[in-house]
Amino acid sequence: MAKGYKYFEAVEKHAGKLGILTAIMVSIGGLAEITPLFVEAHAITAVEGVAPYDPLRLAGKDIYVREGCYTCHTQMIRALRAETQRYGHYSISSESVYDRPHQWGSKRTGPDLARVGGKYSDEWQRLHLMDPRAVVQASNMPAYPWLADEQLDAADISARMRALQRLGDPYTAADIAAAPTALEGKTALDALVAYLQGLGVSPATEAAP
Amino acid sequence: MSSFWSLWVMFLVVFNAGVTLFLFLWAQKVEIPVLEDGTTGHVWAHGVLRESVRRLPRWWVAASAAFYVWGVGFLLLYPGFGGFKGLLGWSSHGELALHAAVNDANLADLQSQFANLSPEQLAANPEAQRLGERLFVDNCAACHQRDARGNPRLGAPNLVDADWIWGGDDTSITASILEGRQGLMPPLGSLGADKVKDVANYVLSLSGAPHDQARAAAGAPEFIVCSACHGATGEGNPLLGAPRLSDSTWTWGKGDLAMIEHTITNGAHGVMPAWKSRLTGDDTRVIIAWLRSQSRERVATL
Repeated sequence: MAKGYKYFEAVEKHAGKLGILTAIMVSIGGLAEITPLFVEAHAITAVEGVAPYDPLRLAGKDIYVREGCYTCHTQMIRALRAETQRYGHYSISSESVYDRPHQWGSKRTGPDLARVGGKYSDEWQRLHLMDPRAVVQASNMPAYPWLADEQLDAADISARMRALQRLGDPYTAADIAAAPTALEGKTALDALVAYLQGLGVSPATEAAP
Repeated sequence: MSSFWSLWVMFLVVFNAGVTLFLFLWAQKVEIPVLEDGTTGHVWAHGVLRESVRRLPRWWVAASAAFYVWGVGFLLLYPGFGGFKGLLGWSSHGELALHAAVNDANLADLQSQFANLSPEQLAANPEAQRLGERLFVDNCAACHQRDARGNPRLGAPNLVDADWIWGGDDTSITASILEGRQGLMPPLGSLGADKVKDVANYVLSLSGAPHDQARAAAGAPEFIVCSACHGATGEGNPLLGAPRLSDSTWTWGKGDLAMIEHTITNGAHGVMPAWKSRLTGDDTRVIIAWLRSQSRERVATL
């Protein structure tokens, strides 16, 4: 029997052993690339000026997720000149600590929205959601007219705030108690516009080049 | 990256690379037992397929070695080996800063050429035109539309006519762009639908548009409230952003009675956002020059 062959034979003729050793070698890439970032992600804290969403914006964020805005819009300005010049300072992880789940996205049919807050007026955002072609003739964005008829459910939003509080978001009891007043008479459209108008509006943006 | 995770990554990289190199070198030396017929004795398909023993092709060995060397070289030059930054000192943020600096220098160069040009020369300069149009499309077109003719549904005025709500001199337009504007007309629905219709007809009469004369006459006394901002004869007030009513240019809607009634009843709130965080004074100068050139072209085609 030739030298060393028995070791290869021991592994290659036993599917179980071969499978386990293969799995170990293949997992090294993930252990090196994913684990450190996964663990360190929990240590990231909000930059100054990034606060948990107020009740209206929180409702807006959930509508953004519900309507699938992330399938066409990213909220992730990459560190590339073409992006920073068009959208502003590149996104930093500590800006999205209160996004559960984050809305970075991976597909741009429409523009990035990470810093769209304040770029247009509330009325523009409203009209654009009701009838995108009324403001951008070439737009292929769908209209979302039902948002204007949908009243927000304050009890539901309060429950979401309590859930986020348990996950560690710094909502106070007073914040949650004030939610029904803040949501009084507001529609889903109001909430989504408020959410959009707050995107990227923080001291980090002001300091951006 | 903390030093623990740096060491973690370094360990895994060295371990993986070590195992790979060891197998690469060792496996080629291992002698596989060969039967007399030159095969290993493994058979498939009832002996139709037999496994012979050959050396690894040289090109495969050379390519594998080259990839290995390339990988090690990459980890030496670029970030990737734990917290080690790489010998080249490359970073994505550094590259961005470099690209931005090159672009800024190009733009500064262009702007310094533009600085010597009068507004009229700027409006005729092809490069300034291109830059101005690009800036306009990126920032202003969402409300004022690509052709700069405005959007009456938003109260976004036409920017290529001679009519300027907040003043049409360069200083006023620059202030409008950088600081933003808010035009606020209070709702006057408390007049009641009938009087609103009277006033609306009077407003139409100011510009000589078709209207109900009896109603306009009835609305004239009520216009005193409107005249506080829009002026006694509806000439407008650029200090307040109150549009002129005595011309055929309309900010909200297109001068139809229903829209005027709607505006009187519910008021109007036109918002031009402030652009100073997104545009520089040089940018606005180029945008204004582009608008002026568009305005001139339009006049020429009329």
